[in-house]
Amino acid sequence: MAALSEEVLLVVKKVRQRKQDGTLYLMTERIAWGPEGKDRFTVSHLYADIRCQKISPEGKAKIQLQLVLHTGESTTFHFANESTAMKDRDAAKDLLQQLLPKFKKKANKELEEKNRMLQEDPVLFQLYKDLVVSQVISAEEFWANRLKLSSTDHFSSNNNKQEVGISAAFLADIRPQTDGCNGLRYNLTTDIIESIFRTYPAVKQKYAENVPHNLTEKDFWTRFFQSHYFHRDRINTGLQDLFSECAKQDEKGLKSMVVQGVKNPMVDLLSLEDKTLDEGYGSLTGPSTSNSSKTVKENSNSAIIKRFNHHSAMVLAAGLRKMDTSSDQASETSSTDGNSRDSDTFQPPIKKVKLQEAIEYEDFQNETGPKTIALKLKKFDRYSHGPVPLQSHHYSTSQDIISSVSCIQEEMSCYKPCLTQVMSSSAASSAITALSPGGALMQTGAHQTVSQLVPVDIQSELKHLYTAAGELLRHFWSCFPVNTPFLEEKLISHLEEMIQAAYNKFHAWQMRRMMKKT
Amino acid sequence: MKLNIEGLLVYFPYDYIYPEQYSYMLELKRTLDAKGHGVLEMPSGTGKTISLLSLIVAYQKAYPLEVTKLIYCSRTVPEIEKVVEELRKLMDFYTKETGEKNNFLALALSSRKNLCIHPEVSSLRFGKEVDGKCHSLTASYIRAERHSNPSQPVCRFYEEFDAVGRQVPIPPGIYNLDDLKEFGRRRGWCPYYLARYAILHANIVVYSYHYLLDPKIADLVSKELAKKSVVVFDEAHNIDNVCIDSMSVNITRRTLDRCQANVDTLQTTIRRIKETDAAKLQEEYRRLVEGLKETSAARETDIYMSNPILPDEVLQEAVPGNIRTAEHFVGFLKRFLEYLKARLRVHHVVQESSPQFLKDIFEKVCIDRKPLRFCAERLRSLLRTLEIADIADFSAITLISNFATLVSTYSKGKRAAPYSDSTTSNNVKSSNYILFQPVFERFQSVVITSGTLSPLDIYPRILDFHPVTMASFTMTLARTCLCPLIVGRGNDQVAMSSKFETREDFAVIRNYGNLLLELSAVVPDGIVAFFTSYVYMENIVASWYEQGILENIQRNKLIFIETQDAAETSVALEKYQEACENGRGAILLSVARGKVSEGIDFVHHFGRAVIMFGVPYVYTQSRILKARLEYLRDQYQIRENDFLTFDAMRHAAQCVGRAIRGKTDYGLMIFADKRYARADKRGKLPRWIQEHITDGSLNLTIDETMQLAKHFLRQMAQPFRREDQLGLSLLTLEQLQSEDMLQKISQIAQQA
Repeated sequence: MAALSEEVLLVVKKVRQRKQDGTLYLMTERIAWGPEGKDRFTVSHLYADIRCQKISPEGKAKIQLQLVLHTGESTTFHFANESTAMKDRDAAKDLLQQLLPKFKKKANKELEEKNRMLQEDPVLFQLYKDLVVSQVISAEEFWANRLKLSSTDHFSSNNNKQEVGISAAFLADIRPQTDGCNGLRYNLTTDIIESIFRTYPAVKQKYAENVPHNLTEKDFWTRFFQSHYFHRDRINTGLQDLFSECAKQDEKGLKSMVVQGVKNPMVDLLSLEDKTLDEGYGSLTGPSTSNSSKTVKENSNSAIIKRFNHHSAMVLAAGLRKMDTSSDQASETSSTDGNSRDSDTFQPPIKKVKLQEAIEYEDFQNETGPKTIALKLKKFDRYSHGPVPLQSHHYSTSQDIISSVSCIQEEMSCYKPCLTQVMSSSAASSAITALSPGGALMQTGAHQTVSQLVPVDIQSELKHLYTAAGELLRHFWSCFPVNTPFLEEKLISHLEEMIQAAYNKFHAWQMRRMMKKT
Repeated sequence: MKLNIEGLLVYFPYDYIYPEQYSYMLELKRTLDAKGHGVLEMPSGTGKTISLLSLIVAYQKAYPLEVTKLIYCSRTVPEIEKVVEELRKLMDFYTKETGEKNNFLALALSSRKNLCIHPEVSSLRFGKEVDGKCHSLTASYIRAERHSNPSQPVCRFYEEFDAVGRQVPIPPGIYNLDDLKEFGRRRGWCPYYLARYAILHANIVVYSYHYLLDPKIADLVSKELAKKSVVVFDEAHNIDNVCIDSMSVNITRRTLDRCQANVDTLQTTIRRIKETDAAKLQEEYRRLVEGLKETSAARETDIYMSNPILPDEVLQEAVPGNIRTAEHFVGFLKRFLEYLKARLRVHHVVQESSPQFLKDIFEKVCIDRKPLRFCAERLRSLLRTLEIADIADFSAITLISNFATLVSTYSKGKRAAPYSDSTTSNNVKSSNYILFQPVFERFQSVVITSGTLSPLDIYPRILDFHPVTMASFTMTLARTCLCPLIVGRGNDQVAMSSKFETREDFAVIRNYGNLLLELSAVVPDGIVAFFTSYVYMENIVASWYEQGILENIQRNKLIFIETQDAAETSVALEKYQEACENGRGAILLSVARGKVSEGIDFVHHFGRAVIMFGVPYVYTQSRILKARLEYLRDQYQIRENDFLTFDAMRHAAQCVGRAIRGKTDYGLMIFADKRYARADKRGKLPRWIQEHITDGSLNLTIDETMQLAKHFLRQMAQPFRREDQLGLSLLTLEQLQSEDMLQKISQIAQQA
């Protein structure tokens, strides 16, 4: 039934599984096998569940493909079509090879994420133990609405941190091989392509523009490798070259980087020198470097150097890009709502910090504890009052508070007790006793001691039961409104069971308690 | 802590002290006591600056009449700011300990570019533009014009300062560049002129070498500093080059062409003024007759150009008659220009001394020595009279007249060597260290200090002075945190060397590449590699690229390369640090004698290994260098080879020393040239490096180097705590006072 909505990518007939002939289907999300003559899959695995595939060694009689799942189970398919068995298997293998990595990451990430959540949250862990380990509900059900919750907050932020950088040598990894007839073969993997795109957004843009309307993917990459762009000692970028524009863009990027200058004043070579000699003074350093005298070789050399700097910078930036964009936005928004003076006063601290760092002697200082991060306040008032509604006509600013405090202080300074009208000391002391803990007026505070009456272990047990029951109830209520048969089934069959189980549990606990007491 | 340095109470703002710091202060105190000069070498990162400041401030407080002022000269702007921050720390400590309010005035002085707060002017990016714009707002006649024409823009900060700033002394305190700006903003005063005025009565002045050494600036800024000052030159290892640079003039055909244009402008302006306002020129003439004394009292803002020679010699004489009137002077300039043009037309190299040059010029165009000497001064006066605001346009003619003055003034005994080159440059080079001498004569104590001054005895010789103390300090170490290795061969046993015959050798380049490649796999975080010259680096990088070595290196680390453009290099440098910071690791390829090698420190993970590819000899075919060597040989009996090796080794040490910036830091120092193993080279390295070169680390192969490096790095990566150092290389006050520690300390300083 589900197969109808799925796209079938590959169908391989005559595949045996457990000595039964059948057909193997590879779909977008899963791999499935159904025995011949039946329209039902007896084997179906999501790609995400598959850890790896294994194939039988070359030259073996049986041509097989084995899928190993994360759970440790494995399924073996035997390709039985005598004439095309090998081809069939390879086709399936290749497709799987492409598909699996996509899901793998997801699966691993999910597992990792689940693990992390359990480790970080003891309450959740306890809940997991109570409900899943004791098999009240299944693991999927337990996670079903947890992950969604978490994916909104944790997941996204974590993703950024886990971003894998790019190897600096990814271009070097594309070793051209001769194909035997005076041509070159470049092997590109998805990883490399992604690296290229991430490092050189200009190429990605070109790719998006031209593939597949103007060029096939293969043509695109062929041109890429032929272009001067790829070869760093390029000097002349012909106009017909698809990538000459990229080169120009790179150049522009490089220039803008240079114009922007550096943030850290300690490495700014331009402002290093206090007094540069005027033109014409000073001894000539080396031979004169006018453009005309530069040979072609020197030019290409300096082009290589520039390319290396640029390449390294791009690789470095690619790793940081995502973080940058978010922080950029943050700073932008903050600069728009913060008053403009902030940006002015923002600059010196970097310099100050760097200076302080530079003059610090690690071994002279007594440890001052771990370094703390300074609190950056854009708007002090907001920090001290929290957000307030816009029409807040009646909240006291810090100015008000200060003035009122000073007002009170002033009044206090000229306060004179009116000794004739005070009450008697006995009345005063009785009032004080009535107001102190345990006094006549403070009876309401007595019930606090309940928590002290019950021992800690019982408390925690009760707490666990409470949360477990709460979780079950949550599951229960989340089934409403009952608009799908699945929910109905869930509700009728096992939720009831579940709640029953919970009742039992509670009952058992209570019994135990009673037993203990008696 | 409070120290007792031979009877002087010194406040030291930390609870711990390095033994060598104590020793350094002892030597320094003796220098000051003797009122003489000193040369002190102490490794970088051992707290030279704070020791210097602590001692001299204590000395100033104890003997306010003996030492009135400390003039601290450093090299770069960040260095200057660092010094002021350290000083601030010291002063805070004083206040805390004594409870007295600080009555010291200390300030940093820098160029307008770093101090200007005028919104329009300070937004300009280049120092020259800022200076020019500032002149156009503050020159005296512009301000005079404003009286008649209120729409004339002037700088309100300067006006404000001029009106009240001089009467009200700047309150005592420590003023860094930013503090000055802040102060200026608050009062509405120009921080630059405020600082320049305030240095006259400040207790401590921190500025760049140029303000004291370059006569063109020193005359304006540092003229009135008292004799009883102590002058400190920090990072002074190439101070001789600074001197030479500020006295050298390059004249090319282009300069002369621009000069011609300048002269034409002058001529037309004079003609116009003559028609409209002849009185003005008359007035100038009268002034010149009276002598230059008055003109020198002209307002401080009129820095058209300053006289490159020491002022007193000239100011007592009147300007010679034949250049007194404006037209005559322009004519004179024209003749001089023609003469220079003729000289440039010569197609072979001529080298001559100043007297020869003067004789020649007298014979050919009848120009005497005396008017030449006044050339610079006379042009200054003329430009002022003509009210030309934008001096940037007149840089060419200024250059020429400065050249005239230089060449005619420094003829006696000291050699200036004008050249005509067959190409386009005529170079005049006063190949002498005359600049330094007046400094030594003028101030009571001059201290030259740096991390790399070895061999110590050569500095007094080339700078021509007699120090009372010369000492080199070692770094006491609880663990050997530096590991100098001399790599002489590749794995194929081919000798590695950058010497001329083999530098283009394929095997050498490949071995260099392999060395870097293998190191990149072993060393964590940052590696800095220095080449002997930019051209050499370009060639090597190109052939490494062709051989695929760079690609392999890229598998381990990112590569950044210094370029000839400073802005580009800064960006590369920042990226390099970023890559080291986030754990990727990077390699910086750089050039000895380049900006990076001189001004940038690679602390901790920014430089875990430094490789010096080859011996950084200066380009020996340069005529300028030849003249200099000849001069050194004739005047000071320093053999050419000695000087060249000395020069190469100090640069190598300077590069390699960038990696170690303290005792908690550690780094490999790899000298990749077999020539380093020779005693004459090795012996010229600073003592603190030399003493760690064992016989086992000479002439290694790459494999052996890797073995040693791995071992070293593994050892260094262990946690290093204060307790490990305490008592050995880090002392508390009690430990310092113990008898045998004092004994040990006395051995740290090695008298040269």
